[in-house]
Amino acid sequence: MDKYIVELENVSKDFPGVKALDNVSFQLKSGEVLALLGENGAGKSTLMKILSGVYTKDSGTMKIFGKTIDDMDPVKAQELGIAIIHQELNMCDHLTVAQNIFLGRELTKKGVLADKEMNEEAGKILRGLNIDINPETIVGDLSVSKQQMVEIAKALSTKAKILIMDEPTSALTSKEIDDLFTIIKRLKNEGHGIVYISHRLEELQYIVDRVMILRDGQYITSMNYKDTSLKEIISYMVGREITEKFPRVERRVGKKILEVKNLNAGKMVRAINFSLYEGEIVGMAGLMGAGRTETTRALFGVDPKESGEIFVDGGEVKIMKPIDAIKSGIVLVPEDRKKDGLCTKLSIRDNIALPNLDILANKLGIVNRKKEEEVTIRSVENLGIRLANAEVDAGSLSGGNQQKVVVGKWLIRNSRVVIFDEPTRGIDVASKVEIYNLMNELKSQGIGVLFVSSEMPEILGISDRILVMADGRITKELDIQEATQDIILEYATKFDNKMKEGKGA
Amino acid sequence: MRRDGGDYHMENINEPNKFMKLFSKRGMGQVVTVTIGLLVLIVVFGILNPNFFSNRNISNLLRQIAPIILIGIGQSYVLITGNIDLSIGSVVGMSCMISATLMTKGMNPWLAVGITYITALIIGVLNGQLISKAKLPAFIATLGTMTIARGIAQIVNNNYNTDSIGEAAEGFRNFFYYGKTFGLYNTIWIALGIWVVFNFILSKTRTGRHIYAVGSNIHAAHLSGVNIASTVTKTYLVSAVCSATVGLVITATSGMGTMDAGTTYELYAVAASVIGGVSTLGGQGILLGTIVGASIWGVLQNGLQFAGAPVAIRNIVIGIIVIISVLLDIIVRANKNKAKIKARAKV
Repeated sequence: MDKYIVELENVSKDFPGVKALDNVSFQLKSGEVLALLGENGAGKSTLMKILSGVYTKDSGTMKIFGKTIDDMDPVKAQELGIAIIHQELNMCDHLTVAQNIFLGRELTKKGVLADKEMNEEAGKILRGLNIDINPETIVGDLSVSKQQMVEIAKALSTKAKILIMDEPTSALTSKEIDDLFTIIKRLKNEGHGIVYISHRLEELQYIVDRVMILRDGQYITSMNYKDTSLKEIISYMVGREITEKFPRVERRVGKKILEVKNLNAGKMVRAINFSLYEGEIVGMAGLMGAGRTETTRALFGVDPKESGEIFVDGGEVKIMKPIDAIKSGIVLVPEDRKKDGLCTKLSIRDNIALPNLDILANKLGIVNRKKEEEVTIRSVENLGIRLANAEVDAGSLSGGNQQKVVVGKWLIRNSRVVIFDEPTRGIDVASKVEIYNLMNELKSQGIGVLFVSSEMPEILGISDRILVMADGRITKELDIQEATQDIILEYATKFDNKMKEGKGA
Repeated sequence: MRRDGGDYHMENINEPNKFMKLFSKRGMGQVVTVTIGLLVLIVVFGILNPNFFSNRNISNLLRQIAPIILIGIGQSYVLITGNIDLSIGSVVGMSCMISATLMTKGMNPWLAVGITYITALIIGVLNGQLISKAKLPAFIATLGTMTIARGIAQIVNNNYNTDSIGEAAEGFRNFFYYGKTFGLYNTIWIALGIWVVFNFILSKTRTGRHIYAVGSNIHAAHLSGVNIASTVTKTYLVSAVCSATVGLVITATSGMGTMDAGTTYELYAVAASVIGGVSTLGGQGILLGTIVGASIWGVLQNGLQFAGAPVAIRNIVIGIIVIISVLLDIIVRANKNKAKIKARAKV
């Protein structure tokens, strides 16, 4: 039982601007379930994608069943008996369940597809997993959780000896998780090696033998599950002290600007209640898929709401579409500024004018150039956007300055609440500081800032108050004085305990 | 406590009996709809002009439809992978000019046919590699080869249409156009034969399955070990073979090579495919639909002509039909999605 079936030594992988993996070593034994843990961006998925041949490593060695493999690709990985269940669904929606399960290794008889045999075989695999799906159903017609089960069935049907499960339970129901764990235990006893990646730490107790922790692309530690505790695991996951410097301005908190009452929109936004006061920055923390982006989208009117009341400056506002939100003074700075926030091929002036053309144009729709000029100058000065002139393409600005343009165009309208969704993702440290300064500037002007971020240090460094989300709910509201990384992570992994629910149902 | 009760509801709807199963087959719904449309058209034209049903017209009509079926097959293959082939019409013209030029130079017609197919296949390989290996958008890659192939059509006979391909090519002309077998023109048999082969490949072989997979989710297909480059290239080879065949039919028909033969055929091919239920977004459609789509196209042309409608009116009507058939599909699909969301909301 002590034989390593996977040995990775000193593996490194760079992506443009990021060191995703830095000299990481990794071992897996047969007959064990290894939990690979770490925060978002710690390098878990990258490591597993290297093992399964989706990415190629920059350096390091890889041994599978004792044999050194240098040129791994998805086909080779499959032949070697490595199967991966990806975090994001990878199904062909137009094909049936059986066709998806056998994709790339279809059974044939004299060159003709043996659909009958594949349907039967797929039926057997599904029944073996206690999954009640007709193998001839078109995958696109299944719910996400059923698709996830098909994905799992597909991986298992390859007779793989090494199974990688990247967040397999995030879309599953309690009964399905129960079934999956039964299967995992069975596979383990049959001598399979299983790598299990999950943010749901409370699940680990049911299946895991060993844990390995990554942080910022580096190997931190590994230990037997029974010798450790969730508290210890979390402290290793978080690990670092906050060393970065965050600019902070003090301002007296004023009156309530925004109040959200019982906002519901699908699975990812459930019973959201919070308020935002003049001159404060409220951080929204949580892990990927916690429902933060969905909450801002529902608030801004992008996605339909099932219920909920929104008050701005004490008056109720009805937000059905983004334009309603904008008119009531709530604006969104989207996560992907190049895609959703800016027209990168238009000038700064055009970008700032774009959402304000109703104000800038007369009744015939002709834009008043003088007014346009004025507001551009005003917002450039107001936010300290550094540029040669307002005619340059927005795409030519630095990340921080681009973000300022996105914000600037909204402030023309005297907006009351600015929502930032992951404003610092993928930009360098200097630009990050510019964005923190921008948020502080808004704060001191008495504008309410709602700040979604996956990076805990900046949430802790910038916010005055923190809302922690998990599984579509706000699990904790923390004042900045009482907030620590450990507490945030504890509440960010506070999922409904589906296992218990399952047993109760 | 279970959150997905709605799914069970869904699956009950999907529980297929034999008859419903036929309908639930990929793309079958649209095929049934347009077949009904085709029958209505035929009846209407028959009433407007009883000669529509004359033996002579029926066999002419079928011979008119055959080339549309052929290019439709090629375009359908490509569309199902989510790509497009704009070079079809030019490959038709190129094949027509190459075969006719070689024959006027006294080459054995069957050898000329062989060389024609080889040159067309080279265009097919080029298309496939540019798109799958060099990652050019299909629209751009085939726009380029479309222009190149048309240029070749013009250059092979020094920018002139050819003279008559002559007596020696009588056998060739009969094989591709004038001859009859079992009372039907050979062109029809050729189209049917090619359809049977390519329909089999698309629906019954691994290659066919991979074509659907690539069009449905190229990423998933890649991760499942499907060879994307080879699959995409194969679809362009099929398209090239079909186009070359149509080029040969045109040579046989007129007995000469015409440089602008096949102009805009690639778009007729898109129309035939799309009317028949092939999605331009990939992953969806069956070749049975392409036959029906091509037939609607041919029946409209022929029937409107018989009814005395001028060319302009014919074009307008056909344009409207293309839009309506796709609109219908979108509406049906939107309703299906709504039903799905409703079923899920009942949790």
